[in-house]
Amino acid sequence: MNENTAVMATYGLQKAYGSCKALDGVNMLVRRGDVYGLVGRNGAGKTTLMRMITGQSEPSGGEMELFGASGKNMRSQRTRTGAMIEIPSFSPFLTAQENLEYYRLQRGIPGRHVVDEVLEQVDLANTGKKKFKSFSLGMKQRLGLALALMNHPDFLVLDEPINGLDPEGVAEFRQILRTLNQERQTTILISSHILSELSNVATRYGFMEQGRLLEEISAEALHDKCRTCLRLEVDDAAKAAAVLQSELGTDKFEVLPNNVVQLYACLDDPKQASYALARNGVALLAMEQKGADLEAYFLDLIGGGRHV
Amino acid sequence: MFNYIRAEIYKLLHRPYTYIALGVMMALEALYASMFAFHNAHSMATPFGGAIITIIEMGAIGFCTCLLTGDIVFAGQYKNSTLKNEVSFGLSRTQIYLGKFLAQTLLSIVYLVVMMAFFLGLCAVCLPMESESAAFYATSEALAIVGYFLSVGLPLWIGAQAALCMCLFLVNGEMASSFLYVGIVFVLESFIDLAGLLIQGPVGNALLKAVPYFPVRMLNGAKSVVGDVSYLGRAWLVGAFWVIVCTVVGLYGFNRKEIK
Repeated sequence: MNENTAVMATYGLQKAYGSCKALDGVNMLVRRGDVYGLVGRNGAGKTTLMRMITGQSEPSGGEMELFGASGKNMRSQRTRTGAMIEIPSFSPFLTAQENLEYYRLQRGIPGRHVVDEVLEQVDLANTGKKKFKSFSLGMKQRLGLALALMNHPDFLVLDEPINGLDPEGVAEFRQILRTLNQERQTTILISSHILSELSNVATRYGFMEQGRLLEEISAEALHDKCRTCLRLEVDDAAKAAAVLQSELGTDKFEVLPNNVVQLYACLDDPKQASYALARNGVALLAMEQKGADLEAYFLDLIGGGRHV
Repeated sequence: MFNYIRAEIYKLLHRPYTYIALGVMMALEALYASMFAFHNAHSMATPFGGAIITIIEMGAIGFCTCLLTGDIVFAGQYKNSTLKNEVSFGLSRTQIYLGKFLAQTLLSIVYLVVMMAFFLGLCAVCLPMESESAAFYATSEALAIVGYFLSVGLPLWIGAQAALCMCLFLVNGEMASSFLYVGIVFVLESFIDLAGLLIQGPVGNALLKAVPYFPVRMLNGAKSVVGDVSYLGRAWLVGAFWVIVCTVVGLYGFNRKEIK
């Protein structure tokens, strides 16, 4: 693994609980600078994978590397990471400030100001003597994020981090992630059920289903795949392509197998294309406007209309 | 490790439970000492030595206090799912385990010192130092006996603390851990004793020979051999044995445990 490009990689990673395969041969690559969005339904294996990355669980098979280290050497590399897996957990009888101070001391992070700064960053600076047990879910999420950020990690692992946040909190959280990624080059692995929100920050996606990683794709490639087009089913795709070039003067189309042409022009006036094809003797068997967002793409990928 | 223990001390100092538990135990001590004072006001005068010598009948309290200090330090790590914060940062499980055990031991020693100082101080203030009755120990003699008893008890209590630490890390839930601890420290010796009597031959003999090396039995045995240095040495060896065995078993299990 090249340290300059890869932060975390898994090779055929497996995890079994009895006869149930929680992870089934996952090959995954998170590159430096990525905001890697992990998409999958409940039980797809996202949290299991993140728990292994953070050392909470051991794989049943396969290998894993973190900053180029594998096996027992991964542990020391975890000091370069920050994590928030599942519901944030802290001592209920301590305040936000006391909880973070405890972990600051434990991790040997110098300077008490670090705690105040990170609490300021997640907008929890004014919680005073309120104990963690009295926090709302949103406040707990913020404190979890504060702990993950406290050691200025190179790699952030966040499992459903925006659960319980109000709209303002979600926007602030998005801004924090962008700042970390763009200004500090922090690599981020994030899972969320709110795919529209994920699509706002992710630069790369991994789609999981039933313990397997179905596809890894960059945000650009996904954007290309999802962009709106006219799907033309014709009797002769080669001839149709020539017609589109000559009659409509566009080369914004793709010729796909089975005499299908995807046209990215004439979206406002599809009849231009149908008239042109008809004039030149190309039979138009079917035409539909097609486009997808992240959710539709994922549902299409897992082959069903079930909700994420 | 230093950072870990420092953090644990920080948490202990910011946890009301630490002070409440100590306060309750000191209140019970005060009540106990005041009973002597009250008794003295109405009938015979129990002196300082006569009161403090009763400490040697309360060795089991030390083993029970382990439950308290263990609970205070472990602080519901499984219940609150906070172990994941430590593991995911890259702290080794060995460091986490030993850090918690050392913090528990440190707290136990602090409790022991504070409680002993408080009780001795209270008795010194409330009770006469000497008595004309020959029925009571003289102050210096009583202090020597109590000192010997505490010297024997300390390693055995630390050994029991290691057993509790093992239970806390291996069993999810403080209640279940406490029951397991009580079983190991208080009940197991009776079972082994019984098994030794029922099983004939070398196995039975081996079991019977093992019984005196259980902490509670060993501490109770100290009352009849006050001043015996070899017994004191054996107590420290037994305490060390319990610490080592429980820590090895606990670490082995904890290193293979899924953190949820």
